[in-house]
Formats: sequence, C-alpha cells, structure tokens
Amino acid sequence: MEDDLISKKELLDLTGISYGQLYRWKRKQLIPEEWFIRKSTFTGQETFFPRMLIQARIRNILNMKDDLSLDELASRLADAEGYSEIRLTREAIIERNIVTDIAMSAYGTEVQSKGDLYSFGQLLHLYAADTLLAKGDMSLDEGKLLLRTLEKHAGVLTGKPCELYFIRKMGVALFLLAPSPAELYFDEGVRLVAKVALGDLIEQLKGRLS
Amino acid sequence: MTEEDKHPGQRPDLILNGVGSAAGGDYDKVLIDGVGKVMDSLSARLFKANGQIRVKGKLKTAEVEVNGIMNLEGPLRMNTMKLDGILHVEGGIAGESCVLNGLLTAKGDCELEEFRGVGGFTIEGLLSAGRMDIRLAGAGQAHEIGVETLKVRQEDQSLWNRLLGGIIPKLKPVLTAKVIEGDDLDLEYTNADVVRGNHVIIGQGCSAGLVEYRTGLTVHPGARVGKEVKTGD
Repeated sequence: MEDDLISKKELLDLTGISYGQLYRWKRKQLIPEEWFIRKSTFTGQETFFPRMLIQARIRNILNMKDDLSLDELASRLADAEGYSEIRLTREAIIERNIVTDIAMSAYGTEVQSKGDLYSFGQLLHLYAADTLLAKGDMSLDEGKLLLRTLEKHAGVLTGKPCELYFIRKMGVALFLLAPSPAELYFDEGVRLVAKVALGDLIEQLKGRLS
Repeated sequence: MTEEDKHPGQRPDLILNGVGSAAGGDYDKVLIDGVGKVMDSLSARLFKANGQIRVKGKLKTAEVEVNGIMNLEGPLRMNTMKLDGILHVEGGIAGESCVLNGLLTAKGDCELEEFRGVGGFTIEGLLSAGRMDIRLAGAGQAHEIGVETLKVRQEDQSLWNRLLGGIIPKLKPVLTAKVIEGDDLDLEYTNADVVRGNHVIIGQGCSAGLVEYRTGLTVHPGARVGKEVKTGD
C-alpha cells in the first residue's frame, strides 16, 4: 500500500496548490475526509492521500474551478448522480477520446443496451477494458470476459470501494472483483497481471467527461 | 414555556423562559432565556440562548447566538455564530463564520470560513478556517490548524482578567498546536511542533520546532525556531 500513498507536501509540490486551497477544498467537501490518512513518521504526524484518487481529483477541481463555484463543484464531484444521468453516443465517446476506437469497435456492441446510448456504468466498464488493453496486459477476447464480469457483478458493488484483479494461471485469464481493502492470496502458479481500484477509474473517467 | 403552531406548513417556535426543559425537533425560532435543557437534537432557523443551556443532541441552524454557558452534546452545524460566553461542543463544528467572545471547545474538528474574535478555544481535532483572526485572552489549543490566513495576537490581559478571570481557569493566552499549516501565517505567542506556510511571520513569544516556508519568513528576535526550511522550487 505504501507506494499508493502520497504525502501532503509531495502533493502540493506536484500540483502547485497551497495549503490554504487544500483545506478550503476539504471544508467544501471537494475532497472527502476518508482520503486524509494520518500516519506517524519520524518528523511527527504526516497526512497522506491515496495517490491516484487525489491527483485525479485535484486535476478535476483545477480544470473546473474557473467555470463553477466551489459549491457547484462540490455537488458535481460528490455525487456520481450527475454522471449517472449521462448518456453518450458512440460517436461522442470516440470523438472526446474517452474510450479508444479499438475498444469501442470490439466491445461497443457487447455492452450497449438502449438505442445507441451508453450510460456512465457502461462507459466505466468500457473504460476499464480500454485501460487494460492499452497497457497490453489483456487480449481483445479476454476483454469480453471482463465486460461480462463487470456487467454481472458491478451492480452489487456500486458505491462501495472495490478492486478489480486480473490474474492468469497457465495462460488462462481470470477476473475477480473484490470489495477493498481485501487481501487475496493466490497459489504460486498464479500471476497477478493487473489490479485496478474502480474508484480510481471512476475518478479518471469523471475527469475525461468533464 | 410556550410552543405554538403558526400558519400551516410553517415550523413552530420554541420559547423557553425561566427554568425548564423542552423536546427537540424542527423549529423556526428557538429562544431560550434562563436555565434550559433540550432533550434531543434540534434543528432551527434561528437559535438564540441566554443563560445556561444544555442540548442533548445535535444542533443544526442558520444562526446561533449564545450569551452565557452552553453545552451541546452533539455536533454543531450552523451558518453564523455569535458567541459571548462559553460553548462546549461534544462533536465537530461546521459553519460559515464564528465571532468569538469567550471560550469555545469542541471534541471534533472545527471547520469555518471565518473565525475571529477574542478569547480562547480548545479544538481536539482539526481547526480549519478560511480567515482566522484571534486575539487570545485564554489558552488556544488545537491538534492541527489548517487555514488560508491566520493572525494571532494577545489581547490586553489586565482588562480581560477583570471580566472573565472568574470563569476561565486557564488564562495563559498562548496558542498551542501540533501542526499549523496555511498560506499566510502571522503568529505571536504560539507554540507549535511544525509550522508550514507560504508566507510565515513568527512573532514574539513563539516557539516552533520546524518552520517550512515557500515565499517568505520573518522571525522575531525573541522567538525560538528549531529549524527553518525553504520548500518548493
């Protein structure tokens, strides 16, 4: 877990925001309380954040803060509600580069439900498949298995922090969805190809949508 | 005690005079004078209390005005607060502004856009404010302080001792915190392990273990600073 965290100081140096901004955003609930992880270090107590989540969130805030007031931003970021209303056409998704062409043509028809529109949930699944494809970890066919897994089980895990595990044993691909934090132990023939927190994906996807 | 219904759809008022107790609930105005006890959580548009008040639950209101001593056995959520006297909160405080004239204690975090006034405070969690301007007349304590701008001064002691000396036992007007972080920090009579900010002024009577600053640091000759570090760029 250690390398998944970023210290407050490092975060401020990387993003160029100030202490005041960070606390202000926290007060406005743009950054959830749970992301402030307090730990003892040799210099006393330090605050850490989940690296991927906080960086994506701060990018989102910085991009949007000129157009929206902080209160509007808070409601936009806090609930996925605004996003759950989103319906996008295939063309719009490719044009805005949310999901690549390849993933779209391979899986677009798999997840599509009503008409020609994709919901936030479906987009998320496509985006997950796209991310793994882009890393070169997963073949196109395995992606279909992933999408079926997500479609079948993600509903149960909505709103809970949850991680996607992609493992292989003797060339056979397996997908696991587990509520986090979960500790999974595999036998030695198993290779953990990828582990993705769905929360991170949601955050990144929101960034692309906004 | 009267509790009357007004026009249909409008919330009733709670008015308590003398010694008495009332149920919690949803009110328009809550006016308590004397020794009052509210048995459950309250939500109201306006909460005005004079005397000695105990609320056995949460308080959620747009406007709070307290003159006297109040104990709140739950979190406080308000828009504006004017406090003359002592307020103990057994939870966190969240709101827009607080004008302090006396003593404020909270068991949880205290998050305000504006926090100014005279007196002392004890915040056991994080004290987070947009602008904080305090003249200390009693001990100021917080586990952690995170602000945009912070100004700490010492109030003229002799006057205050005469006014509040009988009520506040600890009258050493010093701000104590483990960590103080903010953009503009202007400190006097402050003890902190770590002070981090963009522009930091360490005034007289301060002692800090470590000061980290980005743009500027001024240290009063009478202040004690363990280590100064310039960060960023």
